[in-house]
Amino acid sequence: MAQVTALIDGNNFYASCEQSLDPALIGRPVVVLSNNDGCIVARSAEARALGIAMGTPYFKARRDLARQNVVVRSSNYALYADMSQRMMSLLEAHCDDVEIYSIDEAFGRLRRPNNGELIPWARQLRARVRQNLGLPIAIGLGASKSQAKLANRLAKAVPNHAGVFDFGTCHNPDQWLETIAIEDVWGIGRQLAAWCQRRGISNARQLRDMPQGELKAKCGVVGLRLQWELRGYACLPMDLAPAAKQETCVSRSFSQPVTTREELRQSIATYVVRAAEKLRKQQQRTSALTIFTRTSPFKSNFYSRAASRQLDLPSNDTAVLLQAALPLVDHIFRPHRPLAKAGVLMQHLQGIDTLQSHLLVPMSAEQQDKRESLMQTIDQLNRRYGRGSVHWAACGLEPGWAMRRDQLSRAATTRLRDIPVVRA
Amino acid sequence: MALALNFQRIPRPLHASRPQQILPLVSERVPAGFPSPADDYVEMGIDLNEQLIRHPGSTFFLKVSGESMTEAGIHDGDLLVVDRSLDPRPGRVVVAVLDGAFTLKRLARHHGRLRLEAAHPDYPPLELQHCSDVQIWGIAIYVIHPL
Repeated sequence: MAQVTALIDGNNFYASCEQSLDPALIGRPVVVLSNNDGCIVARSAEARALGIAMGTPYFKARRDLARQNVVVRSSNYALYADMSQRMMSLLEAHCDDVEIYSIDEAFGRLRRPNNGELIPWARQLRARVRQNLGLPIAIGLGASKSQAKLANRLAKAVPNHAGVFDFGTCHNPDQWLETIAIEDVWGIGRQLAAWCQRRGISNARQLRDMPQGELKAKCGVVGLRLQWELRGYACLPMDLAPAAKQETCVSRSFSQPVTTREELRQSIATYVVRAAEKLRKQQQRTSALTIFTRTSPFKSNFYSRAASRQLDLPSNDTAVLLQAALPLVDHIFRPHRPLAKAGVLMQHLQGIDTLQSHLLVPMSAEQQDKRESLMQTIDQLNRRYGRGSVHWAACGLEPGWAMRRDQLSRAATTRLRDIPVVRA
Repeated sequence: MALALNFQRIPRPLHASRPQQILPLVSERVPAGFPSPADDYVEMGIDLNEQLIRHPGSTFFLKVSGESMTEAGIHDGDLLVVDRSLDPRPGRVVVAVLDGAFTLKRLARHHGRLRLEAAHPDYPPLELQHCSDVQIWGIAIYVIHPL
């Protein structure tokens, strides 16, 4: 029986999450801002209808947004991550396999039933996600990931498709492929799109049918694979268990320029704490870490510096990593440099099952166990009572450099004191 | 992100003494006592999550404000467990969206028409045919009430 690939994603995911948990936002235009309230990264359908552009810097759009009565929200990652996880588990119940591709999209694999029809399945799934989570989704179906991706595009772009499109059963797929501009094909970057345009290849159908020798000469097997995918042969496998990460990075822009050593130290400490949490969640330890900082690239006298250190023994113990990272701050700090961003990078990650003991490290197995359970306890407390409930003094108490999130909504699904109120 | 990294190894001084230990700072009072030594012997507990939440993916918590449902045992300040995956049926206590806010009422059929009823004599019922923009957001399945 024919395997089918579905690409399922949330429409305007961040804005939809905000609307789902706050009834005052239903039917109203909503935009969500990126880190530090920088620019618009999500728009509700109502905000799109007003012609608000994606990526507009907030300071430029601010007055227009106020005039049009648009609700503005800072990114509420706790809420989006929780809603994403709920959505993904629902998808898993409706597909044979699911590959989570990003916070708001997933590839699903399923078999086509004997009558060939998957549209009813897709409509039902769509209705279920809408009812259970209040989130609108779009579903594209095809014989390969690339086809599914384009089908998803058509599901959203054409209003009477109502969020569902199937390449396998549509009439005249060629005609639909011709409506998709070459630069909108998944995997075609800007340069490649320009190259295609010069050859008169301006849409997905033409790309599918162009001579394969020419495409292979330009972009090798990657291009061929894409072409075969468009022809309906699945060449890209489902990635069901993501490969263990080799690196993990935590970095942020400051809300205001940082000019003192102490502030830089606090910010680095904060990122180390977060990175260590991530490592423990990924069940990994790091063998080396790098800290870095830079000034704004838009100003003169650009300054950027990094410093690294190998660890005697791979670790995910916050205290050990802080001890390793904080002395490096002196190596990257220079006075009179208004710093705009800093971060930490954990490198050469290992799974926690590969720990080898080290003769020179003065920590007994018993001590090691104690440290591990301390870290576990801290993680649990912070999960239960909100991030930062147990906190490291090195991070500072009320940092002035912290990310700007002036319009943050509440952690409505993950923190008891933030849950919505229902009037009785 | 392209980073020009400067991989310099910083030599570490040799210490004969005990290494310094950094300990976490608790910035909020945590309402917990010492762990009980009996913890190691507990095999299985009663997990209220398991008892109260049949569909974790579609279950949300809401806080009740107001008195209109007191005769249904739902009081001001109670914690409400709401499952959005259930279908609204007459007789169920529902969370409805009304004028941009969540409202808690019982869905009822009265003379063949659907309406939202309070569980309190001071609050009149709301006929649904008069308001087209009411949405049923979820179904209340449990209320957690402190005694």
